[in-house]
Parts: sequence; C-alpha cells; structure tokens
Amino acid sequence: MIDYLLTRLFSALLVVVGVALVVFLLIHLVPGDPVDVMLGESARPADREALRTALGLDQALGRQLLDYFSGLARLDLGSSIYSRQPVSELLAARIPATLQLALAATVCALLIAIPLGLLAAVRRGEAWDWGAMSFSLVGLSIPNFWLGPVLVLVFSLWLGWTPVSGREASGSIILPAITLGTGFAAILARMVRSSLLEVLGEDYVRTARAKGLDEPRVVWRHAMRNAWLPVVTLLGLQLGALLGGAVVTEIVFDWPGVGSLLIEAIQKRDYPVVQGCVLFVSLVYVLVNTLTDLAYGVLDPRIRQGLD
Amino acid sequence: MTGSRSAIRVPLLFLAWLLLTACGEVLDDRVIRMGLATAPLNLDPRFATDATSARINRLLYQRLVEFDARSMPVPGIADWRRISGTHYRFRLTRPRQVFSNGQPLTAADVVATYRFVLDPANASPHRSTLTLIEQVEQVNEEQIDFYLQRTDPLFPAYLALEILPAKLIAESHPFESHPVGSGGFRIVDRSVPGRLRLERLIDHQLIELVEVKNPTVRVLKLLRGEIHLLQNDLSPELVGYLKSRDGIQLKQMVGNNFSYIGFNMDDAATGNPLVRRAIAHAIDRQAIIRLVMNRAARTAEALFPPEHWAGAVDLPPIPYDPERAKALLGRAGYGPGNPLKLTYKTSSDPFRIRLATIIQSQLQAVGIELDLRSYDWGTFFGDIKAGRFQLYSLTWVGLRTPDSFRYIFASDHVPPAGANRGRYTSPLVDELLLQAESQESLAELAVSYRHIQQRLHEDLPYVPLWYEDQLAVSRQEVEGYRLRPDGNYDGLETVELMHSRISSAELADAAD
Repeated sequence: MIDYLLTRLFSALLVVVGVALVVFLLIHLVPGDPVDVMLGESARPADREALRTALGLDQALGRQLLDYFSGLARLDLGSSIYSRQPVSELLAARIPATLQLALAATVCALLIAIPLGLLAAVRRGEAWDWGAMSFSLVGLSIPNFWLGPVLVLVFSLWLGWTPVSGREASGSIILPAITLGTGFAAILARMVRSSLLEVLGEDYVRTARAKGLDEPRVVWRHAMRNAWLPVVTLLGLQLGALLGGAVVTEIVFDWPGVGSLLIEAIQKRDYPVVQGCVLFVSLVYVLVNTLTDLAYGVLDPRIRQGLD
Repeated sequence: MTGSRSAIRVPLLFLAWLLLTACGEVLDDRVIRMGLATAPLNLDPRFATDATSARINRLLYQRLVEFDARSMPVPGIADWRRISGTHYRFRLTRPRQVFSNGQPLTAADVVATYRFVLDPANASPHRSTLTLIEQVEQVNEEQIDFYLQRTDPLFPAYLALEILPAKLIAESHPFESHPVGSGGFRIVDRSVPGRLRLERLIDHQLIELVEVKNPTVRVLKLLRGEIHLLQNDLSPELVGYLKSRDGIQLKQMVGNNFSYIGFNMDDAATGNPLVRRAIAHAIDRQAIIRLVMNRAARTAEALFPPEHWAGAVDLPPIPYDPERAKALLGRAGYGPGNPLKLTYKTSSDPFRIRLATIIQSQLQAVGIELDLRSYDWGTFFGDIKAGRFQLYSLTWVGLRTPDSFRYIFASDHVPPAGANRGRYTSPLVDELLLQAESQESLAELAVSYRHIQQRLHEDLPYVPLWYEDQLAVSRQEVEGYRLRPDGNYDGLETVELMHSRISSAELADAAD
C-alpha cells in the first residue's frame, strides 16, 4: 500500500510539473501582452520597457521559466501583475468558495442521481425508468448559463426564497449548487442505472433473492455495492472538474471561486495568476484521482488485496 | 448494514453542514450597495490602470487638480501659479487635510508621491504622462515647485494623480490592498473577493461595492433589493426592461466616451479616402442610436465633444446617405460586379458584436461585404496595435487633454510609440500638431486643435460614431446620486437611502 502511494505521489508530481511547464509555455505563446493591457497605448516605449523589466518579462523565456520553477520549489507562485498581490493569497481567498460549491453540487447530484438511477434500474422498462431517463436527458441538455438565470428568476425574484447571487447571504449556496449539480446528476443517474442493471443480472443477486432477502436489501446491500465502482470513477472525474472551477456558474452567481479568477487572469494575460490557478486545478485533479483509486480499494476487497 | 447506513449518513451530515454554513449574514439594510461589472484590481493609484480602480481611488484619495465640465483643469486640493513656462508653484489650499491614518497631508506627501512615480525603477504606468517634469521640490509645508523640461500650457492637467502619505511610501506600505488616502471615504472591509465596503467619513454611511459580472444578474439583484444602484454596463434591452418596472428610477446624462470605426491606412482598400467616406455615409448612426441604443448616445464628429474646451463645435455632421456612398464606391472602382470586401474586427463583448452586425447590414445595403471577426480583448488589441486589421471599432474612454491628438494621429506615433493604430500619415496634421505644442496659452491651443479636428474630419482616419450616455439605475429609495460625464463614482459622496434614516452614531457602530 505504501509503495502504491509513493508511486502515485511520484507520478502526481510528474503530472503537476508537466502541467506547469505546458501552461507556462502556452500562456506566453498566446497573442497579447500584459504590458499593453496595463499601460494602454499612450505609454512611451521607455516606460513599457521599464515595466517589462520590473515584471521580468524582458528576460528570455528560458530564464523566465527557470525563475518560475525556482519560485515553485520555494512554494512561491509569484504576484499578480495587476493587483501586485501574491497569487497564493488570491488563491487562498477563492479556494474555500470553490470547495464549498463543488462539494455542495456533488451532494446535490448524489441526492438526485442515486434515487433516480436506482429507480430506473429497478423499474426497468416501466414509466419510472422512462421518466427518470428523460429527466436525465433534459438535465444533461440544459446549459448552466440558461438554467442559472431561470432558477434565479423563479426562486429569487418570483418566490423570494433565495438570494440572487453572491456568497454571503443566507441560502446563497442553494441555487448555484442546484445549477451545477443538475448536469452532474444527469450523467451520474445514467451511470448508476447502467451499473446497477449489469449487477442485477449477476448470479449472486439471484442467490440473495433466493435466500429470501427483501428487495431493498438485495438492491442496496448486494447489488449497489458492486455497482459503485464505475460510479465512483465518474464521481472522481466530475468532482475534479468542479473543484477546478465551474466558470459559468461562478459568473452567473458571482461565486468568488477559482474558475472566475482564472478566466479574468486569462483575459488580462496575468501570467502568474493563470499559472497559479492551473497548477491548483491540476493538483486537485491528481489528488481526487488518487483518492478515487484508494476508494476502489475500500469498495472492492479484491483491489484492496492487490494493493496490499 | 453498517456500511449502508454510513453511506447515507455521510452525505446527509455533509448536507447539514453545507446548509449551516450557507446560512450566512443577513444583508445589512443600513448599507448602500452598488453593483459593478468588474471589481477594482489595484487600490494603489501609482499602479492602478483599470477604470474601476481609478474611479474608486478617486473616492479614497485626493488630487492636486480636478476637471470642470469643459475638462479644464481646476484646483483640487491645491491651486497653482505659473512662475515661468517651465516652473509652476502649487499651494495646498484646503486646510487640515488628513489621511485616514491620522497624519496630515503636506507638501512632502505630494513630493514623495510624484517622485515615486517619476522614478523609472518603480515602473509606474503613469510615469509616461509626467515625464515632462524635470524636478519636484518642496518649498514649505504647503507649497511645491514643479520644474519642467519644456513649456506646456496643458501641464496642470497632468497632475491628476492621487496623493499618498510620504511616510508610508518610504515604508513600502501595501497600498494596493490597504489604501491610506485623504479622500472622503475609507475602506472598512475587503475580506470577501469582489466586495469592497467603504465608509463615507462625513456621515459614516457604509457603501458596499459589489462585483456582479453578469448584467442580467446585476439587474435581478437590483430588482430584488440586494443592490441599490447600478451605473452603466447594461445592454439597451435591460435598460428598456428596467424602465418598465415600478420602483426603479433611471438617470441619464450625456457622456464623453468616444466610439469610432478605425481604418488601416496601409491597406489598399481602406487607405482610399473615397472608401472611408463611403463607409461614413453608409452608416446610419441616428437609427442605431434611436433603435438599438435606446437614445442613450449622441452622434460624434470628433474625438472631443463640443462642450470640451478644445472641442470643435462647427464640424458639419456626416449625413447618412447611401446613394452618395454607392457613388463614392463607384468612383473608387467598386460596384455590383466588383464588390468591396472588408474585414471588421471587434471585441467579444456581446453588445459590440451586435453593433458590428448592424453596421455589417448597413454596409451591405451599399454593396460592401463585411466579414466580422470577434476576439478576446488581448488578441483583439494585439492585432489592432500590430496593424492586422482593415476596420475595427473601439471607444476612447476618459480622454481629457488634447495632447491625445499627437498620440493618436501623429505619423511618428504608430504603436508601440503611440496610438496611431491606423498608420495615418498627414504632413499637414503633423505640422499642425507641432504648431499646437508651441502655443503659450490654452486659448491658442484650442484654436490649433480645432484646426486639427477639421482636417481629421476631412481625412476620416476614424469614422466618428457617438458619445455614449452615462446611465445610473437605482431603486426608488436611493436619492442624491449624481452622474458625471466621465462615469466616475463621485455621486457616492452624496447618495442616500431614504427609507433608513439611521443616526450617524449607529452607522459608526456598523462601520466598526
């Protein structure tokens, strides 16, 4: 198990370094110059050069890359070109909101998807199945930039139950979590259904029923447990994406997360912030995937024994 | 069975935690909330370059010079005397100005602020407008001398930089996150990203500036009372919708931000003056303003509006005349058998794209095929600066001093040396610009710049479109907010919520 963890840690480190390298190169290749964006056109060439020097942008790309990685080694992500605040501070201010929204959306998705997927699998071919899968299709098809404002219109403006946007007011998490969780729930429900259908046809499920166990216990205790693996894989991937920042939802609801910070930074060519955000996203992905792999071991004793 | 119970218990417990943490604060009805499209990036005026930061910094700090309605420089916290063409003496006039940390504002602070910006090592983006200054010297506690490299009657207009305390400058205080100014406001809280809570010092009124990026959501928040006030950055549809709502008031005033279509003069087609004039006659600006912009703009003929002290009042409007446009195109060698095909670049802003499609349609009516391209700001601006365009559309925001003409139209000011993006070359305009710079008085300057505007109106390196109006939308309980032509937030100095007459003492408690 320790060996496995060490191997995962090493490969995670390689992934993160690789991502940092690719992002550094890509963001410097994209057209647009932060000095132009900052100074506008009335600045004199000498002042442009002075600012370029102050920001370290006058140095060769290789040198900038070296400085960036030496900073990373000291856990220094640099400072925003615009606000001059350390990137670590900017990220630290945004990560709690991102975590909260991602986890809330995941819980929301699980609460919708598991009953829906179960119902569709157990009542396969019946109206319940048809209804659940139609809901899933609709949920998958609705874009967040439409669903968000519609939810706001109904629940905030007409009914007055929730705030329109922001993170401070009471109940502000509800609409963004539903918006983000709906699409996720749709995918998850389909996955729960198909995994469960596969397992429900297995011999051991027939044996359990033959032993006289009631149907809920057969489904939840025996079938569902084995259906979890593909669901957990999907959960891990989606959670990684959510933690990486749900840009559209964050913008619609003014949720001060990492996704909106990243988009703003890309638009302004704020290189250190872009690099910091992408590094955070890649770290999150690696972490969530590692945890997903470990969860396999918890769920399936055969995998656990293999790891040991 | 234990496993299945815990499988249910964990998400339920987590949900409970989420709901508990989601029960945040109740909105304080003593606070006036203003929605902003973008949060300020930097509250250190020596480095801030974005419009929102500049507008908020105006509230937090004070300046030597302000501008009147004609954009003439007028005393801010100091008046001035021209001792010679290259020597100005400024005197702090408002007594007992203090910074929010209790220190008095003196001439030493002015000197320290300007010396910091002028030091190339500090790489202040504002240095370029001040390089005319050779030396800044403190005369006494109240007086400052500025020595210039050459005469420039516009000089006082350049001193609109906010003043910071010298002691904190020396200590490298992080003004960008903890501003210390002498303005009418101080920051009381900025712990939440996208939210900035200010206290108006005169009456302890709290004002919160809330970033709400999506304009539709901004409007919904206004309607629900989560914010009280919005200024600009709303599409005409949203403004029209708000006009029809009860309990919402709308204020509008003429603005001076200049929108235009720029041409690449190096391009064979757009470098042809007949083509440029044809395009100018093919665009029905009045119809766009009336039907698309809800009359929230006025047509422009030049960079500066007529009320500007150097504005050209007698320029003839370019009429919408599609027949004349077709005739001009015919003279330029284009017609039904040989249609003119052009590429038009714009930003990815939805309203700008919509305007571009309307212009595309109007030009199509006279036989010009316009290929629209929209890009994110960095790419778009990079292309414009590099001359990779035939036509583009942009808006000049916050232009005050007519030396802008040199940056925008002088033949030696092609980017990166200036903002002559269209590579416009006119020996006559270059000569007129040189003449203008040698003028000794503002009156003479105004005459020179009017000649330049006349010439530009004939050459049309830009098709002038319009000056967009300034617009403020607020809930009915909001009173006293005054709009400004340049869109600054100075109206927050007088804004009030009429339903909550709360004593200053209570507001002071809330601020603490």
